[in-house]
Amino acid sequence: MRAGPLTAAALAVLLAPLAASAAAMSSSGSLPHGGVYTMTEDPTVPSAAVDLWFRAPSDGYDGSSQGISRFAATAAAATTLSGGRSLVALIRSVGGSLAIDVYPDMVGVSADVPASAARRVVAAMSSAYFAPAITDDGLKIARTDLAVLSAQQRYYADDLVHNALFAQLFTSGPAHVAAIPDDLGPIKSITLEAANAFAKRAFRSANATFTLAGNVDPALLDAVTEGSPGAPDQPVVSPVAADPQSKTIDAAVPGQGVAWTGPPISDERAATAMDFVADYLFREGTGVITKTIDPTSDNYLDGQFITLRNPGVMLVSIGGSGSSAIEAQVVSAVEGMRKPLDPAAFAAAREAFLYHLASDSQTPDEQAANLGWYAVEGNPSYAPSSGDSAYWKAARSLDPDYVASVVKKYLTHPVEVHLITETTKDTAS
Amino acid sequence: MNALVLAAAVLAAPAVTHGSGGVTTIVQADAAAPLVHVDYVVRAGLDRQLLTQNGIAALTAESLLRSPVNGVPLQDAVAAAGGSISFVVDPSDVRFEIEALPEDASRVFGLVHTAFSAPVFDPATVKAARDKLITRIAENQQVALQVGIDMLNSTLASSANAGLPQYGIPASLIQLGPGDVHAFFSTYYVQGGSFVSAVGRVDALSGGALDDLAGMLPAGSTQPVAVNLPKLEGTSRHLVAERNITSPWLIAQYPAPAITSKDFGPMLVLSAFMQRTLSDMVEMPGVISPTFASNAIGAVYQFQGAEPNLVLYVNGGIGDPQRSFLTALSIASILSSTKLEGSIDDFKTMAEGDFLTNASSLESRAWLAVLYEENGGEADYVTRTMDAISQTTAADLQRVARSYLGNPTIALVLPREDS
Repeated sequence: MRAGPLTAAALAVLLAPLAASAAAMSSSGSLPHGGVYTMTEDPTVPSAAVDLWFRAPSDGYDGSSQGISRFAATAAAATTLSGGRSLVALIRSVGGSLAIDVYPDMVGVSADVPASAARRVVAAMSSAYFAPAITDDGLKIARTDLAVLSAQQRYYADDLVHNALFAQLFTSGPAHVAAIPDDLGPIKSITLEAANAFAKRAFRSANATFTLAGNVDPALLDAVTEGSPGAPDQPVVSPVAADPQSKTIDAAVPGQGVAWTGPPISDERAATAMDFVADYLFREGTGVITKTIDPTSDNYLDGQFITLRNPGVMLVSIGGSGSSAIEAQVVSAVEGMRKPLDPAAFAAAREAFLYHLASDSQTPDEQAANLGWYAVEGNPSYAPSSGDSAYWKAARSLDPDYVASVVKKYLTHPVEVHLITETTKDTAS
Repeated sequence: MNALVLAAAVLAAPAVTHGSGGVTTIVQADAAAPLVHVDYVVRAGLDRQLLTQNGIAALTAESLLRSPVNGVPLQDAVAAAGGSISFVVDPSDVRFEIEALPEDASRVFGLVHTAFSAPVFDPATVKAARDKLITRIAENQQVALQVGIDMLNSTLASSANAGLPQYGIPASLIQLGPGDVHAFFSTYYVQGGSFVSAVGRVDALSGGALDDLAGMLPAGSTQPVAVNLPKLEGTSRHLVAERNITSPWLIAQYPAPAITSKDFGPMLVLSAFMQRTLSDMVEMPGVISPTFASNAIGAVYQFQGAEPNLVLYVNGGIGDPQRSFLTALSIASILSSTKLEGSIDDFKTMAEGDFLTNASSLESRAWLAVLYEENGGEADYVTRTMDAISQTTAADLQRVARSYLGNPTIALVLPREDS
């Protein structure tokens, strides 16, 4: 799939529920020293996913420190712990991998490791985040890390389009600004004290959800030795624009996109219907619109419904020399969905949708991320990874009339953004 | 036995059954999985093709996916029933990957059984298959690393047909019609040497469903078509191609040991070490997040197939490609010529972790079980790999580096002058 790291990760999380499985062992509860956990056990796989998810504003608690959540999360992972190694060094030493994903209202820290290393990683992760003591060395690494990511982001059209569309849909708050700033000024000005202060508040155990999947079991949580009881933060809110406007933006790479605000996560059936629409029209390889794009051309399309507390967002990014025609096709196809699909075509599309949901979330790392996202967005019982998830009931209950009614209600006034480069301008003039 | 090996030992080994028709069935039940996944492996790969039939293995497989069942192409019927079917053509076999939701499994596998038992290779079906393959070839030609690896594989193959590209080439595909597809299917789609490897919610399949799959082709066995061409004379080991890409790629290929070799474990450790070293070399010090640079350089141990090999690659987009590449090659050279001091336990732990974290998807579990069963008659890929790594010594590492990392064949994939 042609997508930048942010959108690729988001897609994996959002379109990745698990089929209800009678034998899947799921559990949830409280951590030993504050906070909660949720896990799905599969003793037949040799690896484990260990994730920590937090509710936190990407631009700081006063909205003045764009990028601080990513910065602090990275610095905490890079800071040497009492055992003599940082979290990232430990994970790499066991042949695993670490990913840090930051969204406007949340932070996810994900480790994919061999099962035998899971206990050590749980201990190190809880130590790094529940009792953060970021050092100058950790800070230095985080600065370099963000500088590289920021430079890369300037050339990923998908990320730029995503950020630009969110800036139009939300008038302020963290959803209005990019989680990784283009300008490193704000990052350079974050002091060690500020990073630690943010980390101590955002990453406290009471604000955390540990999600584990794969070859794991609840006894692993005995390794959590840090933390303190308390209540989690309230959801991070970004005000929605009443009449969002389209916009053209100067950028290093061309691209364009279109977005609509959609139902909140609490409206489970409507949110699931949006996922269905995104799958039917835009899924790589099978989407009705995606299939019309010549795979040997430079054109591409990435469409998804992003399930958020309120509202969710249907977002499509498009690139290539034929992007204007594709965008027209996208808007027209979405309009066409206001009319109910033929029952036979709908039944086939729904079955394919259910299969895609299961197929996209078969590995422990995908499952743990899925559990974390839905927990932080405030509807853990809707997390598709749960054995008796409300998600699957909603997906199976979809019918042509209902999907058409949801499209009619939400997908009416698209917002567009266009990224133009110096070359594009020259060609146009 | 270290901690990782101990952990692996508690995983249930795949259950293997050898059927009377020469079909091997492997089952890895996983009640927590969301799907049932089956690899159906038939001895109808590249080495069954004549050189004049370049692409017939893929054309037959793609035509099968498009063979109508109740008037609907198989792959569309499977998708509408809650599953998927796709294929990979390997040097010696073609592997169909079939997946289904548990509640739809009987229906999906029933559709597959119907199509494979009585495929329809009419002109429209074969034309659609050919068009699809030509598009896939064009897509592959835009992936410089794939272009380079294909070139290198063609020089490494001991039988010339086994080194042909997976999908053939357009010029040969347009010569192949329904008659060729039918003949290839009739000759090579037989039970002997095939595998049915099932993972996940196998309990959802109706009783005898795997046996039905195993028996859906006629009995019989086939042999590869030997195509021996004289080796080209010459001293150069460089291959060069130009494509519409933005930066050059440099790819080095070394012969490597098979799974059954005593050198398998040491080569896994060596490749894990090289992968980490190369990544560290190009990244900014300490950077945590995966970046463009970390994907631009690497080492891959391709231990499947008759000609295992180790590939080192560098994308010139990360800066001076020659410098990066020479550094990569020098790591191989140093490893083979310098006595290793100290413990190699850290390298071994990394190799174990790399293997285990890449062995969790249904697709990889099904395929690894087949690979290990056909190489050594023991499908328990986790235990065998952990044992092989665990027993590796520093002396093994050096011996293997010296034996294999001496004289690579190098492919350069360059941007066209006008691109």
